[in-house]
Amino acid sequence: MLSECKSKLTEKKEWLARLELVPPKHVRLKFCKVGTLQYISHLDLQRAFNRILVRACIPVWYTQGFNPHIKLVFSTPLSVGSQSVCEYLDIRLSRDISFEEIKRRLNAEMTDEFYILDAYTPENDFSQIAYASYEIRIHTAGASDELADRVKNALTAAPINMIKKGKAGEREIDIVPLIKSVDVAYDGENKEILIKTVLSASSSQYLNPEMLISALKERTEILSGNPTAEYYSIMRTELKKEDMSEFF
Amino acid sequence: MKENISSILKSVSKPGRYSGGEYGQIIKDKESVKARFAFCFPDTYEIGMSNLGMRILYGVLNEEEDVWCERVYNPWIDMQDKMREHNIPLTACESGDPLTSFDMIGFTLQYEMSYTNVLNMLELAHIPLRASERDDSMPIVIGGGPCAYNPEPVADFFDLFNIGEGEEMLPELCRLYIKMKEDGSYTKEAYLHEAARSIVGIYVPSLYEVTYNPDGTVKAYTPKYDDVPKTVQKRIISDMDKAYFPQKVVMPYIETVHDRIMLEVFRGCIRGCRFCQAGIIYRPVREKSAETLNEQAKCLFESTGYDEISLTSLSISDYTQLEKLTTNLLEWTDENMVSLSLPSLRVDSFTKELMDKIATVRSSSLTFAPEAGTQRLRDVINKNVREDDLLRAVSVAFDAGKNAVKLYFMNGLPTETYEDIEGIATLASHVIDAYYRCEGRNRAKKPQVTISVSCFIPKPFTPFQWEAQDTLEELAEKQEYLGSKITDRKIRYTYHDAKVSRIEAVLARGDRRLADALELACREGFKFDAWDECFDYDRWISVFERTGVDPAFYANRAFGLDEVLPWDVIDCGVTKSFLRRERDRAYAESTTPHCREKCSGCGANKLGGKGTCCPNAKVN
Ligand code: SF4
Repeated sequence: MLSECKSKLTEKKEWLARLELVPPKHVRLKFCKVGTLQYISHLDLQRAFNRILVRACIPVWYTQGFNPHIKLVFSTPLSVGSQSVCEYLDIRLSRDISFEEIKRRLNAEMTDEFYILDAYTPENDFSQIAYASYEIRIHTAGASDELADRVKNALTAAPINMIKKGKAGEREIDIVPLIKSVDVAYDGENKEILIKTVLSASSSQYLNPEMLISALKERTEILSGNPTAEYYSIMRTELKKEDMSEFF
Repeated sequence: MKENISSILKSVSKPGRYSGGEYGQIIKDKESVKARFAFCFPDTYEIGMSNLGMRILYGVLNEEEDVWCERVYNPWIDMQDKMREHNIPLTACESGDPLTSFDMIGFTLQYEMSYTNVLNMLELAHIPLRASERDDSMPIVIGGGPCAYNPEPVADFFDLFNIGEGEEMLPELCRLYIKMKEDGSYTKEAYLHEAARSIVGIYVPSLYEVTYNPDGTVKAYTPKYDDVPKTVQKRIISDMDKAYFPQKVVMPYIETVHDRIMLEVFRGCIRGCRFCQAGIIYRPVREKSAETLNEQAKCLFESTGYDEISLTSLSISDYTQLEKLTTNLLEWTDENMVSLSLPSLRVDSFTKELMDKIATVRSSSLTFAPEAGTQRLRDVINKNVREDDLLRAVSVAFDAGKNAVKLYFMNGLPTETYEDIEGIATLASHVIDAYYRCEGRNRAKKPQVTISVSCFIPKPFTPFQWEAQDTLEELAEKQEYLGSKITDRKIRYTYHDAKVSRIEAVLARGDRRLADALELACREGFKFDAWDECFDYDRWISVFERTGVDPAFYANRAFGLDEVLPWDVIDCGVTKSFLRRERDRAYAESTTPHCREKCSGCGANKLGGKGTCCPNAKVN
């Protein structure tokens, strides 16, 4: 059962050394985080990216100083339990390498639930993010057009006062002003309630989509039954700027 | 991961423990494989994912194209409550399939206090606990790991045990299973018999009849068939340079205990501390070459992206090529931002040069294990560490600007007197004195000496296997006495809960008559007994009382030197007469040289092996 193990470290280093040195070059990575990855926290994701970048042999720029590390800047964090097809990460490179190559190398080290969709030069920064669109699917008993209407009413009748846990402790806020738009439909094929919504997602005004689920649980009978038969999924589909154009 | 548990996962702590989906996990087509193996670690995901043995065996089994090995960990209590409430069975990480759909289930038995978790997991999987209650439709339940050297307390729950290293044994077991399924000869009974007969290292407890003497001690182990070995000899991997090495590992997303590269440098230990089970059962020492290790470390760095390499082995500084290995590693680790760490250092090997090389030695607090407070008692336990060596080692550290050291000791060792206990306090204050003698010390800081004291537990296959454990009262008195001898505020004193150590002693030296107690414990919801917040001594005693078990019989009784021991059915290579000789030398307060200085004829050389410590083994 001899398992030959031959490292390619030297070849990789030689390849890296041949790349042209450049002043720290910014690259934006758009990635998705779906399926089982929804249970992985933002902090864990950061650690995972560190290792992925090393495995993929990306010529990342390390901060100078006593404790050199890779600088990772993420867009609006996703909370545990939510999936996304529009996450963004800015990295810096110390050597020149094509975007195609970056994407190819990273994806070789990632999975079909967590991979790079695009790599490019960023033309803005994450402070321009104002809103996020979500698709929420609720698999619940009694899903129907009628329930969809009631869900819509429950999410639009101001005020919806919810407890928000923040750094300064708990406080009650009305979430309606943070809901930019909300559409509710009954998806007969999957017997699910489908909510398409746009929520505030700037750093000062961030509404966690889980809040909508909590509000609905309080105001309707959805998801009150057996949790193995009733469940929901949250998918972040797009980030938007203040003028509602797509952020990328 | 199945959709219908998504609501549950959203309601428990750390759902990443249960979701699977890690990079590096192995997915196969379950319809086309011929045997499905569930490798269970009877503790949390964070602990199990850090286990090197599991990383190796997961890889080794999946090398077999028609075998699919998956991982299973014990869900934390909040998750278990939900699973019970909604009748969700225990499932494997990769496929999300329940354990009942597997052909084989293997548990690694790393510590006795995890036994309740083994039963807990079987129960969660809706699998009958006792081997005798499981028919041919149920998976074969396999045990292995260090605790399998005395498998008797859990023997009734397992179909078979692997004694020794599993890299060859487990694939052989799977091949035999597939062969018998294919040629139609498979019944559970026939399979177990054939495995016991034809594969070295396989112990099938149901094939041995145990009889007892009127005084409760074991009378005899009798195999039920002539072709089943009277004693089961452990398996070892002969050539570590050629042993299977997992080039890829499953990368956890959530933080685990040892989230780093673990480089296994050698197996075994040349030392022979008389209380230490690992030092005996992993004999003989087999080293990997520095070249092999350097190459393997590079491969693992490339495939994981980890930024730390930990050299793991018992007593790492006994590696004959340590200098060469660390030099070779440092040639590439620094520029790749990878740091090196060593888990255990002997005081006699602790040098300035080593300290400069090893990042974790530089940054973290230092730990040494003198184990006993006086030279007399250190000679008894064969811990060849002298006070001078310790003081020299701490001085190196202090001169380099460190101010904190941690020292490990044990209470309740055979022949221990109150003088020995006081010696612990004296030794600690000598370390403080050494600090103030160091010219290079950090003058802005005060020294900090932490002494951590555990309780001696007599373990099978050690020279102290026959010894009685101190009673709880004796241990408590000793712990208190030591406390009263420590007056210096610069010495911090912590000690282990003697109650846990007592239960551990019962489970370590127990026999098959503990099965009822363990089953009752499981039915009453015992789990995670290695966790302080879950362990409840009074409930254990109540379980023993109700099942007719006297814990003192196993923990506090001196076993007769001629007594048949429950683990005599296992042959770990080291002979009982060697252990007996070592015991006599302990009482004579004389030390035994380590294997490289002089072979003391322990018997382990009969197992063979390349690059061992016993080329000049003495034949007894
Ligand atoms: S046979 Fe001798 S050298 Fe080998 S492990 Fe035993 S005591 Fe050590």
